[in-house]
Amino acid sequence: METSKPARRRDTEDHRREGLESKVEGFNERGRKAVRDRKLHDSISLFTNKTLTGRNAQLRAHPDAPELRERAYRTKQETMANLDYYLSQMADAIEERGGNVFFADDGEDVVRYVGDLARRRGAKILTKSKSMATEEIELNRRLEENYDDLELEIVETDLGEWIAQLAGETPSHIVGPILHMNKERITEILSGVSDEDLPPDVESLAAFARKRLREKFVNADIGITGANFGVAETGTICTVTNEGNARLVTSVPPVHVVVMGIEKVIPKFEDLSTFVQLLSRSGTGQKITVYTNFITGPRGEGELDGAEEFHLILMDNGRSKLLGTEYEEALYCIRCGSCLNVCPVYRQTGGHAYGSTYSGPIGAVITPLLKGDREAKDLPYASSLCGACTETCPVGIPLHDLLLKLRNRQVEEGLAGRAESLMFKGFERTMKSPAAYKAGAKVGRLAQKPLVKDGSIRGAPGMRGWTDFRELAPLAEKSFRELWKEGI
Amino acid sequence: MRAALFIPCYVDQINPEVGVSVVRVLRRLGVEVIYPQGQTCCGQPAFNSGFFDEAREIGRRFLDVFEGERFDYIVCPSGSCTTMVSHYYPFIFEDLPEERERSEVLAGRVREFSDFVVNVMGVRDFGVHREGKAVFHCGCHQRRELGVLEEPRELLSNVEGLDLLDWENEELCCGFGGMFSVKMPDVSTAMADEKIAALEKSGADTVISCDSSCLMHLGGRLRRTGHDTRVLHLAQILDSDGR
Amino acid sequence: MADRTEFLESIRHRTRRGRYKPTKSPDSVWTPGIDRPEREEIEDPQARFIEELEALGGHGKRTENLEEAREYVLDLAREREAELLVRWDVEYLDELGADEPLRDAGVEVALWHDVPDLRQIAGRADIGLSTATWAIAETGSLVLEHGPGRGRSVTLLPPTYVAILPADRVLQTVPEAIRQYAGGTLPANVCFHTGPSRSGDIEMSLVVGMHGPGDVHVVLVG
Repeated sequence: METSKPARRRDTEDHRREGLESKVEGFNERGRKAVRDRKLHDSISLFTNKTLTGRNAQLRAHPDAPELRERAYRTKQETMANLDYYLSQMADAIEERGGNVFFADDGEDVVRYVGDLARRRGAKILTKSKSMATEEIELNRRLEENYDDLELEIVETDLGEWIAQLAGETPSHIVGPILHMNKERITEILSGVSDEDLPPDVESLAAFARKRLREKFVNADIGITGANFGVAETGTICTVTNEGNARLVTSVPPVHVVVMGIEKVIPKFEDLSTFVQLLSRSGTGQKITVYTNFITGPRGEGELDGAEEFHLILMDNGRSKLLGTEYEEALYCIRCGSCLNVCPVYRQTGGHAYGSTYSGPIGAVITPLLKGDREAKDLPYASSLCGACTETCPVGIPLHDLLLKLRNRQVEEGLAGRAESLMFKGFERTMKSPAAYKAGAKVGRLAQKPLVKDGSIRGAPGMRGWTDFRELAPLAEKSFRELWKEGI
Repeated sequence: MRAALFIPCYVDQINPEVGVSVVRVLRRLGVEVIYPQGQTCCGQPAFNSGFFDEAREIGRRFLDVFEGERFDYIVCPSGSCTTMVSHYYPFIFEDLPEERERSEVLAGRVREFSDFVVNVMGVRDFGVHREGKAVFHCGCHQRRELGVLEEPRELLSNVEGLDLLDWENEELCCGFGGMFSVKMPDVSTAMADEKIAALEKSGADTVISCDSSCLMHLGGRLRRTGHDTRVLHLAQILDSDGR
Repeated sequence: MADRTEFLESIRHRTRRGRYKPTKSPDSVWTPGIDRPEREEIEDPQARFIEELEALGGHGKRTENLEEAREYVLDLAREREAELLVRWDVEYLDELGADEPLRDAGVEVALWHDVPDLRQIAGRADIGLSTATWAIAETGSLVLEHGPGRGRSVTLLPPTYVAILPADRVLQTVPEAIRQYAGGTLPANVCFHTGPSRSGDIEMSLVVGMHGPGDVHVVLVG
């Protein structure tokens, strides 16, 4: 990302560049714009507040919520410790049911597999149910580009995801992909693909989408879904939706392809009990989603619908390198989105500010882990470390601790800015010596004299990151240690 | 009861009156208060920014200073700095057995001010009087790492004349976050503004916290935006006149 | 392309164990000890099932016998002015005996078995009718097992969907329903279907009948 930029560009517009602020690029720049967008702010508040209210009520009413969370963590931990075993068991179970299993190292492998399959099947229309794994590898764009001769029509079928696709945007939230759009914007987008101007009411917009998507559902050649969970013991893929699109995508077309991150496997069917209860309550505040669907291989003997051909793609794409490391817990995520909902940073900026497929605290953690620190340098710092994410996570991922570790990893890799590195060296020296500490305070008190007005500092050189927004409290005339010496 | 004060660097230099109130309140409870002179900072700014080596150096010094004293508890008027010592020293020293053990011993003895007053001293009512309509802002470390949320509220609810109000989304972070406040100033300020909007809606004229750092940020934004809301540490409230 | 053995070999790893950290904040939903209800046996699972389903905008009805259930289906077909009903080809629905009266009332009835254009029929149908293996009281869910004669599309494509099942098939909880399949061989598709299809993607406004049926009825018999 940054390598293509000219080195040492002088930025006259941003006077805070020389201080300690994050570079006015990446998250800081996008966040700065986002916090000024009142409409965006209202949309985010609407979604997050409503979802959290439901989530809190559901989990407070659950007699075993604390036990479920701990069980989820331990199940994930056990699974990761033996991931090769469980993936192998799952692959065997699916093959036994007549399904195909493919191990993909990365997105390229997935694209090639799906593209070749589409070619072999002579497929034209591919319907998709919302899947973050395929968003992560930009499956749609890459299929269209790499297999342009097939002229594939790839259609997202989740209402929000479809609207995002029509608008050429990415989802801004794991669960609510277009929470950043208001009705007016959606009306504009849908009217653009309709013969007529649609009225800006939710019912009409949904009715239009329903009709349009129904045509795609029934004519699709291949259905693609992700997997909320994959069961090793039985080879079962579990998807949860409210609209029913995942169920249509897997019931109607003759071919079903599942793109599943390898971390989504759980050992036993009974483990679904823990995770289904947690996911629906945390993600949308429901006791259970409308369609909790369990698919085990292709349609059975004598069945008249469901896919004849079933393909499971187990995708690594950077996940396995976290196994056995101090970052492994990031793989426990079940993509419920509740860390986004509670995150005070996300609540101000929305998802697009993160500039990555996964946003919010979990996005700030896994983006650098999957893509590398250089690709997402600013994300671990896009947090006040308040810990609301960790507290909320239904599987107990210590998200803010992982953010801290990622910050440290950047420092150790030499990715921290020079000014900051020097500052903390100086900080260490000062704080290790009471004499230096006292001397520093003395200098500070002298230096601030001309700046203090009415008991506060409105502007100070090198401190504009603070003083452009807030009054700065001056150093007291006498420190506590001096007052103590004088006697309290 | 002998308590060693750990006065965070910004309280020492910017809000020494908070430290003074802590001393007076503790003495009123009959606590013998000592102040280890060699202390400076716990190293949290470096730690939060990912500079763990620098934080470890400062942490070692902290261990040296406090291990050299005789006390029953370390008492600190900041949930955040207490957490640095109680939770994050063991975290940064995880792979260093000697320091890890030393930090775990100290972690068991450091208490945030309201935690110490309520749970160690067993005092919930100071019999003081203070007029005002207040909201309480619980710092995030205090709430989530320490789990000390009810104690300050209980202490405040027993202050005569003080009307403790609810405010919307009170669990939301104020946006300070240490270096976050200057690294991402726009987002940090937007977070403060959301708190301030909730504060206005509540009708409070005072905001109280156990963390002067949150108050420095909220107070700084309040003043910049023309508010005259009073901004006080819990210790200052408990240091009010008797009723 | 990755070879299976190589792929699995590369993820076999040394273990490093994190520790589960319980939440501490007294107002967190995960913190043990906060006020929460005791786990309780649902005393009247049928009544609870209907209550939960109706809270979601579905319709639940308990009847004494199959005759009453048949009347329910006939009334519904009349009210919806149905022209075509598609149903699972299973014994229980034969016993229901709704086909003839429906046809008499001018409603075409199609059974889910091997006929051409089956997909089109389901797509055109006004009502889908099925039975269910289980129902779940705490959530108002149906447990649908698909197989020969038990098409997925029947429960999915028509705008109105009715399920009829014996009242003694109502289980208490979701974990109990999941346990029914633990350790066994699963049908190619099992679905926990809970109320009308819905979406909140546009400004969090509830849209009912997004892709699946928006009009959902369950009759518990006996």
